[in-house]
Amino acid sequence: MSTIPVGISTSRPIAHLKIDEERGRYGMWLLILTEGCLFVDLFFSYFYVGNRTHRWMEETAPKLHYVLPMLAILIASSFILHIFGEKQLKKGNYGMARLGVVITIIFGLGFLVLEGLDFREHWPHTNFMSDSYGSVFNTILSFHAAHVIVGLLMLGYVLFLPFGPVDKTPYRPLHNASLYWHFVDVVWIFVIIILYLPPNL
Amino acid sequence: MSTAVQQKLLDMWESPHTLRAWFATVDHKKLGKRYLATAFLFLVIGGIEALIMRLQLARANQALVTPEMYDQLFSMHGITMIFWYAAPILSGFSVYFVPLLIGARDLAFPRLNAFTYWTFVLSFILLYMSAISGQAPHAGWFAHAPYTELKYSPGYGMDAFAMALILFTISNTGGGINFIVTILRMRAPGMSISKMPIYLYSTLTMSFLSVIAMPALTAACVFLELDRHWHTHFYQVAYGGDPILWQQLFWFFGHPWVYVIFLPATGILSMCIPVFCRRPIVGYPYVVLSTVLTGVTGFGVWLHHMFSIGMSHMAMSFFSAGSMTIALFTSVQIFAWIATMWRGRPILTTSMLFALGAIVNLVIGGLSGVATAVVPVDWQLHETYFLPAHIHYVLIGANVFPVFAGLYYWLPKITGRMMDEIKGKWSFWVMFIGFNVAFFPMHLSGIAGMPRRVYTYPPGLALGGLNMTSTIGAFIFGLGILISVWNFFASLRYGRLAGKDPWRGETLEWATDSPPAPYEVEHIPTVVSRSPMWDDHDQDYDPDNERILDQGRLTLATTWLDANPLAITRIPEDSLAPLWLSIALFIFFGAIIMDWMLVALASIILSALLSFYWVWPKPQKEAA
Repeated sequence: MSTIPVGISTSRPIAHLKIDEERGRYGMWLLILTEGCLFVDLFFSYFYVGNRTHRWMEETAPKLHYVLPMLAILIASSFILHIFGEKQLKKGNYGMARLGVVITIIFGLGFLVLEGLDFREHWPHTNFMSDSYGSVFNTILSFHAAHVIVGLLMLGYVLFLPFGPVDKTPYRPLHNASLYWHFVDVVWIFVIIILYLPPNL
Repeated sequence: MSTAVQQKLLDMWESPHTLRAWFATVDHKKLGKRYLATAFLFLVIGGIEALIMRLQLARANQALVTPEMYDQLFSMHGITMIFWYAAPILSGFSVYFVPLLIGARDLAFPRLNAFTYWTFVLSFILLYMSAISGQAPHAGWFAHAPYTELKYSPGYGMDAFAMALILFTISNTGGGINFIVTILRMRAPGMSISKMPIYLYSTLTMSFLSVIAMPALTAACVFLELDRHWHTHFYQVAYGGDPILWQQLFWFFGHPWVYVIFLPATGILSMCIPVFCRRPIVGYPYVVLSTVLTGVTGFGVWLHHMFSIGMSHMAMSFFSAGSMTIALFTSVQIFAWIATMWRGRPILTTSMLFALGAIVNLVIGGLSGVATAVVPVDWQLHETYFLPAHIHYVLIGANVFPVFAGLYYWLPKITGRMMDEIKGKWSFWVMFIGFNVAFFPMHLSGIAGMPRRVYTYPPGLALGGLNMTSTIGAFIFGLGILISVWNFFASLRYGRLAGKDPWRGETLEWATDSPPAPYEVEHIPTVVSRSPMWDDHDQDYDPDNERILDQGRLTLATTWLDANPLAITRIPEDSLAPLWLSIALFIFFGAIIMDWMLVALASIILSALLSFYWVWPKPQKEAA
């Protein structure tokens, strides 16, 4: 056998390569892909069941006065997390980054409180047991709320990580957690567009 | 060179022989072996259920089992084989061989790998706990609503079905994510995307199918469980629900799933046929493209499982055409294998025989599939024995036979011992003949009108002879599998030592020891062609020792397209967290089945805490 490695180009010698911290990001994107598919399936079920029954859209349109502020809160939280959390952490402003994460978590908790109020308002007439519309509507909302809680747990975990130049910065964990947080926000936009706006038009 | 280097690597990679290490291991070789052994055990369990059914059906009006028990038997047989055998055994091959094929030292997420193994085992236990208590699911493996509703299926059998499947989807999706990241990020330098062994393409396609399609099953099972325990109305017409929703979701998952359990098996064939024909595969790009396109098209054919529910002509034509398109892609692969044999010099080893048997059975199953893709024929044959005949020709032809080809091909690498060829060939012929004797008559009994899933039939319908033939064939088939099991255990003791490369193989796994050392490769290999073991390039050439990477548990990350070195990847240490997390989830789903809501709440909180414990950064051991 000849011993010349043909066609192997290394930009840098292997000894000088960095430790790989990107795998988690790939994993997070794939998690988001599969969770996104879950919501696609849930929305599909909504349309499918709705298409088969004539009664539900016009009956009681879901009220918008809680969910639109909730939308504003989530979108604002995403921007805060990106601008004050991630960007500041990348610059090395650990205190500012920590504050950004804390504010995001508070916004997320506020979202959950408002969602609870919304549930309290629509539950008496539109609940799991009322009819198929109530079943699918509340299931989608509950799934989203569960994802908000998971997102909050991820952010909470990042908050407890040792910030600062100790061993390695928690930039990657924060980046992954905020990817998930943005995903949860995007799902909420679809919830508004699909579940809330059309019946109110 | 340097046993000192090897010793250093060994110290880092070998896990101690303690009970804790057995449960905590993240080594893909150990987990791969466990996957293979566990899935094979499940094959045997599902097979015994099938044999009991065949005994019951051997003659008219038998009463070996009660009708209720027969319902549970065919359901558990289908569920076990399709979910807990067919995909996990292929995952076993992938867990073991993907890192070896790409010259990496482990998968991208080794602890996730341990987690998916444990959830796979525990979900099976969850399912069979219902069976042991006499309340197994009884609605078939696709469990069409509304029969599965609490009103028609009381007890907790269907709850166990739904919850065990959700736990299983977690396991399978995690495995898919692991394979995707590993294959796209950890290939040996130089193994660009156009030089990947075909098995990697089929695993990659399979993984994407899992990631995209499994949530539909999760959603369907969640709706079912909510209907049964929380009084929702997803599948109840009286409250505006629709039982067809279950079918839509289940088959949107179900048809891609067919390719999840089919594509890696074709990948195995594309690995061993070239080696035993002594030439690279013919039409590599076409085989790759048809593998990927089978996966893509697989998302557009699910309605063909539902032609008889009533739908528009447009929908039927579209899905009928889609189903026939799949036959085109499969044919491309089959013709590539035939051309490889035609242009090569085939050596009829046992593995090659199983590959040939797979092709023969797959063609028969494929043709009966084209027949059922024709809508009028499907209406005629729907719910008759023609469908079990078709599904078994496809699944045994395209899963069990390739799996045996893969076992005979790769077990010498795993155990270090050769399997006996004479016993192997006996096993093949007994299996091949038994299989055809068992399942070919089912086409005929189906056309004659025998419905599937009926526990017996009256005499005088001319079905007795066909059924007796099927039963005899089924037992011959089982005997054939037993010969291979015997062969395997005998080979562990008496088998010839395999050495590094008993078949003069084509791909990188044959460059390692048999069984591979815990660190697998001393130097991360480099690759310049599709057949790294057959070209003139020395994949271990490393004059500066820069690819040894012995400063820790390390391997190499490369770019996804060209596989240029990008970074050094740390492989985590053994950990018990994956096992604890799987147990917590097992308790959670078990509690949901039994309606113990406080236990469920406690175990889900425990799961969150265990997840934190899992990902919390631990100090890395660095070798001096």
